[in-house]
Parts: sequence; C-alpha cells; structure tokens
Amino acid sequence: MITAYHRPHTLDEALRLLTQPNTVPLGGGTLLSQSTVDPVTVVDLQHLSLDTLRVNGIDPSTRSHRPDVFSGGQALEIGATLTLQALLESEHCPPALKSALKLEAPLNIRNSATVAGTLFSCDGRSPFATALLALDAKVTIVNRQSSIVNLGEFLPLRPRGLITSITMPHNPKLAFEFVSRTPADKPIICAALTQWNSGRTRLALGGYGKSPLLAMDGTESDGLEAAASNAYHEANDEWASAEYRMDVAAVLAKRCLEATR
Amino acid sequence: MNITLKINGIEHTIDIIPSTTLLTALRGLGYHGAKFGDEGGLSGADTILLNGKPVNAGSILAAQSEGHNIATIEALGEHPEQGWKKTDGLHPLQKAFVETGAIQCGYCTPAQILAAKSLLEKNPNPSEAEVREAIAGVLCRCTGYLKPVQAVLKAAADLRGDTEYDIWESGLGNPQFPIPDSRLPTPNSPFPIPGSSSNLLTKTKIILTPESKSWQTVGKPEIKVDAIKLVQGKPAFTGDFEKRGLLHAKVLHSPHAHAKIKRIDTSKAKALDGVEAVLTWLDIPRVVYSTAGQSDPIPGPLDTFSLDHKVRFVGDRVAFVAAETSEIAEQALSLIDVEYEILPMILDSRMAMQPDAIRIHDEPEYVNFADSNPEKNLAAEIRIDIGDVEKGFQEADEIFEAEYEVPKVQQAHIEPHIAVTYWDEDDRLVIRTSTQVPFHVRRMLAPILGLPVKRIRVIKPRIGGGFGGKQEVLMEDVPAHLTIATKRPVIYEYTREEEFIAARSRHSMRVRMKTGVKKDGTITANSMYALSDTGAYGCHALTVTGNTGHKAMALYVGDGDYRQSPNIRFYADVVYTNTPPAGAFRGYGVPQGYWPLDRHMEKISRAMGFDPIDFRLKNAIHPGEYHPFSTAWNEGRQPRPEIIHTVGLEQCVAQGRAAIGWDDKFGNEEWHSLQNTGHALRNTKSVKRKGIGIAMVMQGTAIPYLDMGGASIKMNDDGSFNLLVGATDLGTGSDTVLAQMAAEVLGVPIEDMICYSSDTDFTPFDKGAYASSTTYISGTAAVNAAKIVAERIRIRAAKILNDRKQVNTETGKQVKDTSVPVYLSTSIRLANRMAIAPDGKSVSLAEIALDSLHKNNQEQIMGVASYVSPVSPPPFAAQFAEVTVDTDTGQVTVDRLVMAVDSGVIVNPLTASGQIEGGMTQALGYAVCEEMRYDDKGNAIERDFDRYHLFRANEMPELETIFVETFEPSHPFGVKAVAEIPMDGVAPAVGNAVLDALGVNVDEIPLTPEKVWRAIKHQ
Repeated sequence: MITAYHRPHTLDEALRLLTQPNTVPLGGGTLLSQSTVDPVTVVDLQHLSLDTLRVNGIDPSTRSHRPDVFSGGQALEIGATLTLQALLESEHCPPALKSALKLEAPLNIRNSATVAGTLFSCDGRSPFATALLALDAKVTIVNRQSSIVNLGEFLPLRPRGLITSITMPHNPKLAFEFVSRTPADKPIICAALTQWNSGRTRLALGGYGKSPLLAMDGTESDGLEAAASNAYHEANDEWASAEYRMDVAAVLAKRCLEATR
Repeated sequence: MNITLKINGIEHTIDIIPSTTLLTALRGLGYHGAKFGDEGGLSGADTILLNGKPVNAGSILAAQSEGHNIATIEALGEHPEQGWKKTDGLHPLQKAFVETGAIQCGYCTPAQILAAKSLLEKNPNPSEAEVREAIAGVLCRCTGYLKPVQAVLKAAADLRGDTEYDIWESGLGNPQFPIPDSRLPTPNSPFPIPGSSSNLLTKTKIILTPESKSWQTVGKPEIKVDAIKLVQGKPAFTGDFEKRGLLHAKVLHSPHAHAKIKRIDTSKAKALDGVEAVLTWLDIPRVVYSTAGQSDPIPGPLDTFSLDHKVRFVGDRVAFVAAETSEIAEQALSLIDVEYEILPMILDSRMAMQPDAIRIHDEPEYVNFADSNPEKNLAAEIRIDIGDVEKGFQEADEIFEAEYEVPKVQQAHIEPHIAVTYWDEDDRLVIRTSTQVPFHVRRMLAPILGLPVKRIRVIKPRIGGGFGGKQEVLMEDVPAHLTIATKRPVIYEYTREEEFIAARSRHSMRVRMKTGVKKDGTITANSMYALSDTGAYGCHALTVTGNTGHKAMALYVGDGDYRQSPNIRFYADVVYTNTPPAGAFRGYGVPQGYWPLDRHMEKISRAMGFDPIDFRLKNAIHPGEYHPFSTAWNEGRQPRPEIIHTVGLEQCVAQGRAAIGWDDKFGNEEWHSLQNTGHALRNTKSVKRKGIGIAMVMQGTAIPYLDMGGASIKMNDDGSFNLLVGATDLGTGSDTVLAQMAAEVLGVPIEDMICYSSDTDFTPFDKGAYASSTTYISGTAAVNAAKIVAERIRIRAAKILNDRKQVNTETGKQVKDTSVPVYLSTSIRLANRMAIAPDGKSVSLAEIALDSLHKNNQEQIMGVASYVSPVSPPPFAAQFAEVTVDTDTGQVTVDRLVMAVDSGVIVNPLTASGQIEGGMTQALGYAVCEEMRYDDKGNAIERDFDRYHLFRANEMPELETIFVETFEPSHPFGVKAVAEIPMDGVAPAVGNAVLDALGVNVDEIPLTPEKVWRAIKHQ
C-alpha cells in the first residue's frame, strides 16, 4: 500500500527522496496505484520534464541539442516519463514499434503508462520491450552517478535507480511479427528484428518468460531461423509448448527478415 | 494528505490517504459516472478525461491528478426537460448513443462516450477504424461494439453540422425501418475481396410477419426507457448508492483446493482499529442451501454453507470482515490465523468418480436431489432415452463416433457482483443487489439469515450485465451477515480477481457423440454422453447439463418415419471437483452441446459426401412435430409433451447463405486460397487460407409450467401508466420491450408507460431474468395486465361517450330520446392516447383518468396479471462464419459472422439486434480465446483481463444480424426468445470454417493457434 506521495520538482530532489528505504519512482502509476501489502513511498516524476523525445540529440519542441549515445548514428532519445501513447503518436516512431506499442496495452493505459515504467515492470510478453531489445536500446539510469546500460543487460537485472531516458537507433529497419489468440491480444509469441545497413541483424523474441530474449545479434542474417528456434527451446508455459514456440519463432523471424527487405 | 482536484472545472479540496486512487476520490465526491471494472485498468469502465485524454481513474493516484483538468461524464449534457428550466439537452454523443441503441447495460457507456469525445475533439471526421481504436480501451461485454461505433460516427456528423450525413442511409445500417420487401434472398454479387473494405458496419435486416404491420409501438426501434439516465452516468447502479456509516466487507478466500479448517483465530484481526466484525463458521448458523437462483424447490443438491469448517476450492470462503474502509478490511484478512489440514484434491473431472477418489461433500447436512450421490462425487446424473437408440444404430449404414471438449469460461459482466445491505427504520433488512433474481434472493436468504421472508426487502437497481452470473445468490449473504453482526450498512463489491476465483462460470464438459446415419443421409439414432464439471458445489448442476441435451440433441430428429419416433439418447454425469463452481451462463449448457453436435454433423456430412446444409436440414425438426425431449425430461420435474409450432430454420438458412455469399465461396478453391490483402504480410500470402462454416441451432423460451412473471399497471391522472414488473432488466432492454407491449395494448406511446423493476416490496413476483423468458413470460404478464386496464378504460369511455350523447350539446340538457345507439365498451379501440368509438367519437385517456380518479364513481384503474406458459417455443438460427487461417502459425482470424435468427416477432429491432451482436461476440470469445484453467494445486491461471482476453472494439469481425420473423401463436405478439441463442452457433461455425479452410479438425475449443497448428502438423 502506498503510504506517502512526493512530487519533486528537480532531479536532485527526486534522487534524494529515492535514497530513502521502500521508496520507488512513480511513472504513470498504472501498476503502482494498485494496492500492495507492503508499505511503499512513491516519488512522482511528472514535474521533472522527463517526458521528452529527442531525435539525433535534438528536442523537436525546444530545438535544444544534446549529444546522443550513438556517436554519429541517428538516435531517438525517449524521456523516461513519455507515455506509450505519446511515443506511438510521434512521427519519429517506426511503424513496427507502433504495432508493438498497440499490443502492449489498450489506449487508456497507454495514455498513462510511461516508457520507463513499462520497461521496468515488463515481463517476457511485452511486445514493446521485445522491439526495444531488438533495437539494442540503451537505458540511462541515474543513481549516485549516471550510467548507460544496454536494455539486454537491464532486463534480467532491473537495477535500482532512476531511469531518465531510453535511447534507440533511428536508422536501422525494424520489423515486428506476432501470434496471439485474437488480433489485439497479448502475443503468445512475437519476434522483433532489426537490420542495420551494415548487415548487422538482431532478433529478439517475446511472449514468454520474465523478459524478452535476445535470439541473435550477428553481422548478417545467416542462421536466423535456427537461432530463433534455439532461443525458445525451453519456452514452455500455460500459453504454448516449447515445441510450438520453436517452430513459430522461426516462421516469425523469417517473416520479419522478409519485411525488412 | 490534502489535495485539490479540478473536476469539470470545479475545484475540490479533499483529505485523502496517499494510496487513494482517482476513482475512489471521484466516487467519494459523488461523481458516479466512472465505474469500477477491474484492478488492472483493462476494462476501462473507470475512464475519465485527464487533460482531454482518456485514462483509467482507478489506475492513477488521486494525488497524481492534482493540477490537471479532470472531466467526467457529469460535465456532459442533461435531460432535455427539467420543468420550467430550459436546458441544452444531451450532448450529441449522448443523443447518438441513445438513438442508435448503443446502450445495453450502460455500465461502460460513460467511458465509451468520454473516449469518443476525446477522439472527436482532435479528429472531427474519423474513420470507422479510428473510432474503433479510440474506444478500444473500454471493454463492453453487451453490445459487440457495432452500435457504439455507429453512435460515434453519427455524433461526429452531428457535431460537424453535416446534416446530409445519415448513418442509416449511408449504407451503414438501417434498423429503424425494417425492410419488408426483402422476403426473398437477393442474388448475391460475386464475392468481395476480403480486406478491401474497411466498412464493418452492417445493417440489421428484418423479414416481417404480416401481423406485425398494424402495430404502433411493438416492432419499432423505440429508445430504451433507461437510456437517458444511463447515458448521463446517473447513479443508477448498486455501487452508486450512498449510505451514512457504510462498512466495507472483504472475504478471506481459501488458498487450498481442499482442506479442513482445524483452527481459526481472528483475535488479531478483530483488534485492528477500524474493524467492526470478523465472522467465521463458528459465528453464524449452519444452514445448508444451494446458491442457484431457481424456483422452489431448487432442482439440485443442497451442499453449500455461508461459512464452513471445510474448504473445497482455492477461493472458497473462510471468513468475512467488515471495516471502516476496504483497505482496513483487506489488512484484517491478513491478520486472520488459520490452520488447515490439507486434503487430497480432485482437479480433473475424469478422476472424480474413480473408486478411490476422495469425497468432496461428506457433510451430514447434504440434501440430495434426484440422482445426486455425494459418495460418488456425483452432483447430478441424467439418463434420457427417447425411442430405441440401439435399434436405431442397427438400422444405420454408418456409425460415427468422436469426442469433443469445451472449456470453463467466465460471464465477465463488467459490473462485478455487488450488494449493499442495511436495516431500515422498521428493522427490515434491505438488500440492494445487482441480481437477476431478486425474489429468489429474498426467499433463499431468509433461512440462512434467520429472518422470515417478510422482513427482507430486495431492491434490484440497474445491473451492469449479468449473463447468468447473477442468477446466483452468490454473495448477498456476506454483507447481510455483517449487517446483522454490526447493525450497520455494509457494502460488498467483488474484485475482478474474485470474479475469476470465487464466482460462477460455464461448466466445462467432455462430450462423446455417437450417430447412426443411413446412406441417404437419414439420421437413425443420435447419442450424446457428457461428463460435466460442476466444480466444488452443485449449483445448476442438473439443469445446465440437462439443457445441453434438451436443447442441442432435440434439433436433429432424423427424417421419414424417424420424425414420428426419433431415437435420441442423452446421458450425463455431473461431477464435483475441487475447482470454483460452475453455474448459469447465457446459453445455460446449450453452447456446450452445440460444439460437439454441430461439429459432428459437419464431419458426417463431409465423410458421406453430403452438402452440409442439406444434410442438416434433412434431419432437422419441422413445425408440428413434438419437441422430442418434452416427452422425456423437464428439469427434474414431470415431463409434459409439447408440439413445436414455428420453425423458421430453412428461411434463416436461405437468408444467411445469401448474406454471406455461401454459394460463391463454399467449395470454391479460388476463394479459399485468396490472398488476404488486408493483412500486413505482403510476402507471405500463400500461407493464408480462408474458410467458411455454418452451424444450425435452437434454444428454448422459458421453462414451461414453472417460470412465472407478474406485472401490475396503474393509470395516473394524466392518462400515463406505471408498469411495475418483477422482471429483471440486466441490460437487455427488457423494461423497454415490456413497456412497448403494454403501451401497444393501451394505445399510448412508450413514454406514457413508466416501467419500474424491481423491488420485492412493490413489484409483483417474477422468477427473474433467465432461461430466455422475459419477453415471452413477463411480456405476456404485462400484456394481460394491460388488457385488464384496457377493459376498464373502454367501459368508462363508453359510459362517458354515452353520457355525452344523451346531452344536447347546444342546450346542455338531457336528451329525452334514449333510442340513440348506445356505445358498447367492446367496440371501442385504444390508440393515440384516445378511446375511439367506431363512429370516430373519442375521449382522451387523460379525460378518462381524471374522471375515474376525481369525478364519477371514482376508482383506481389498475390491472395485475401473471403468466406461466405450458410451452417453451424454441427460437432457431443459422450461424455463418468466415475465417482466415495462417497455416504456418495456426492463428485463426474470424473475419465475419452472420446470424439469421427466427425469434418470432421482434418487439424492438434495436434491442434485439443488440442481443445478437453482443451474444455473437461473447460466443466468439468461447470459440477462440476464452478459457479458465488451473495449475496442479488448483490455483486459477486466469485472474484478470490480461490473461482472460475479451474482444475489444478494434479487433472485431464484421457482424451481421438477420431476423426472420415467425408468429408464435402461444404469445399475444408472437414472440420467442432472442437472448441466449447467439451463444450457440459461433464456435461450431468457426470450427467448421477452420475445417473448410484446412481440411483438419480441432475438437476442442478455444481454437488457439497451437491447437490448430498441431492439427495441421498431424494432418
């Protein structure tokens, strides 16, 4: 149960509050607002101006420039408290990421849920996290000091600290494919594939487990289908058998690759 | 903490605890338009606009919304007439929702309207797809979304000032004016390319009977009598009721599937500040009962206690708590110390009757009904033999046997179970509850609470959907016991998780079919065995499973001599397991019967090379034949044979096959392999295949010689009427259709018929809303009461007209000549608020009312009547489905559902088509995605709307409804039931369409991608 609520106006103040015991950042609140048994203090981030979207280091609304983490490449820097819907409505959001966002949650939740909150609390069924994993997104976390962590490292560990932004490359091609019981249901299995101009090909799988899984990150796409199958060889749960997921992972991976061509 | 909320432009400063959600804060301030639907925000019933965007008020903290603009439905529109005060009336969105019939239960209507408002502010001319996306955050379990989408498009046009735009004329639909000249199927154009059209809005088509043409109100798309209050989000539901000193109830649910309570210590919980009562089995009387809301005697075993010293499923009750807030009550639950002795459990129905199985019901109080046997974990046993089935099999050329499986599914009404109880000033216990069966609640709770029936009053306000889940006296006893314990008002509202672990569901069944067929396609014998899982308690065990056979196995009697003497067998064992109990769910056992029956028919027709439609029609029942089961079974009561007079099945098939283009598609390989251009997969077209399927179904209309409904009508000073009915409108529009029928008899518009339902103190008895009976049974009661009133009105009208005739109109003096013709009451007809004599002389109903109440031989003109039917005339339907299957992944996408229904005369095309559209949507979930499963400890896997997926507005197939009217002679307006039949045919039609697409059979629903994929792999 939430026992105290703070709405700091500066990052420093937020970080100071977050050093207290049983204190967590509050994004959109779609999960934290639900009562839990343990007492918890929440720090609402809405006044920290973290709901920004920067393209190649430029904030389209303020035109202010900041160097991005992808040196030289094109990057989209998504502020931690940007809502899923704001990202979805952005012209800079790749179409395949929009598909994944639509499946992530219904509109009302997308209007509240934040990008960072979603990634922090997601499980393996998250289409959004799967897509960002394929994009090799980076998470900027501020604790005592600022650090940048690959999403692939972040997801299994979910380290404490305040996420301030998520950065993803903007130039490679992204494809997203999924299978679900109905067209708007959460996927039983989904695949996201990013292909860079260099030929680098990165495949992430979702729909199972605690986090999406990186199935392949190679200099080219050879062996993609086998990698997809192998990645899910133990992906057995109440939604589908590993046998099914292995077979369909290869199918979806292939479709993703075709879609990027 | 103190916060200030700006709601609809007004600032409110409130003192809250930090965990308070915006929903709780709003409701505390008296804004009731936002409703509780679920904890996760997936229902969206709690939608409000935050800075103009739809968000879930229950999913954000009140503190988070400080400093933002909050808008609720209360800011939108008001009733157009407020006495002397002029108002702007309803908002165009509200008007459109009312006029298009977009409101069924109305629980999610405010949410849909706010979501739509947000869209139209950004985008005044949205496409249908954009409308569907915009309202996709709001789940609706009633409508199938078709009419809400129409409403938003209509409102958008109104707001744009686009007077030329007519939703009905633009080809989007035309329920207002039935199309009498389309009696015959129109020749269909070549099949359209799937995905080429974004237009999913279809028109409801009605093939009228000649009788229905002369009526003024019956058969017309009248707006629902409760629409205007629901569209404004008025506090009409149980949870909207405010009572000072209200306590909040919570229930401790068992964490074990089967255990004895060895010791239970509530002292810590009782000591918690704010806790007013903690009750365990030690505190309340031990009264055995059944929770099934049915007539007396309950046709099932008595095997339930309010609280017991044994728990029989994960979610069973252990203790009740009442506290000042729900947070305190929740905390108190965690302080109750229980020591369990864990017992072996039965989770698989096939294990229940094994010789060494543990006995789930060993309590000495257990009361058997019919062939129940708790020693064998048998809640009910059914053995029905019609004709000579073995002889029939011997006469067959081929025998077909197969097994099928149907899952347990949830009603998932968006308003959860909720009840408020309190002692009134006369120390009578008032129970305000969201129930389908208020009179059963009163009768059945009396012994449990130790109160006589006369000291209980049950009020049923508006209901946010029921679908059978509220044909159960499920939880009203909890607040009632706590009110007795504390003397204070108590509210108990189920959480969504409780709905999944501690409410009722559709029985899962394993079904074995055996059918004998002659070479010419005549069915010689048909046999079904069902193993039905009732869960831990036997509520509805016998009657639900009985109807599986009674309604499904009655459809195919065979042909030729077999029509006079069909050979049909239906055997069933209904067993206890340590899982949450099953119960009533729209369709009541019949959907479970049609999955195996119709899939079996499809397989037989394909195996023997018959046309699937011809084969079914050859063997289907004809008018004038006996309902085969009426000779053998009647819900545990004495069977009484009945003849079926109206069967519109062939016409339904003709209409439906024309509408879906069956003849162009079935057996057409070009169509089956057509590339699905609507899908994003540009390069994988070849892996998709289309399929088309049909299922034919019948249901029932009420339970003969048992179901009784009452109605009373009284006339007011102005010639208007109060219609009081015990019938329970659970969102279906029954208040409206009952008012329409009474208004038709009395010759008044529907707005002169003020309908109220239901309150056990004021309204006549009605057994409640179930068994597709309200329009037929309660409707006949309303008509009969209206006839009594009409008779009095005619007598008084004749008297007034005769008196006038005998007065010289110029002199005002009595005319001496009494030889002038005397007006006879029998020749007077009522129309247009007038009593009219054959010569055209008339007197208004208002004048008659004033005369009768104030002037001459004063009397209250009033009629009370009730009705019980000797027959249960079945509605019939042909259900068609079109699917696209991904042959690599097994994913089935249902593209189109067309249902042609013979429900007799349609009293209100808007509400009736809403029933079909919403029913098909629920049935679609049964077909492809809904199921309730348990892990090896008996814990529910599905506990929320994330795992248990309901169809949303943006993923719906095209829905099309066709009514083929027949005039059922046993009803004054010729009606039959419409409510349940849409649940029956969708799953088998989809299953048959998958077979048609791929040539493979999946015998178990839901048709999940993996099941279809496995069938393809094993081909």
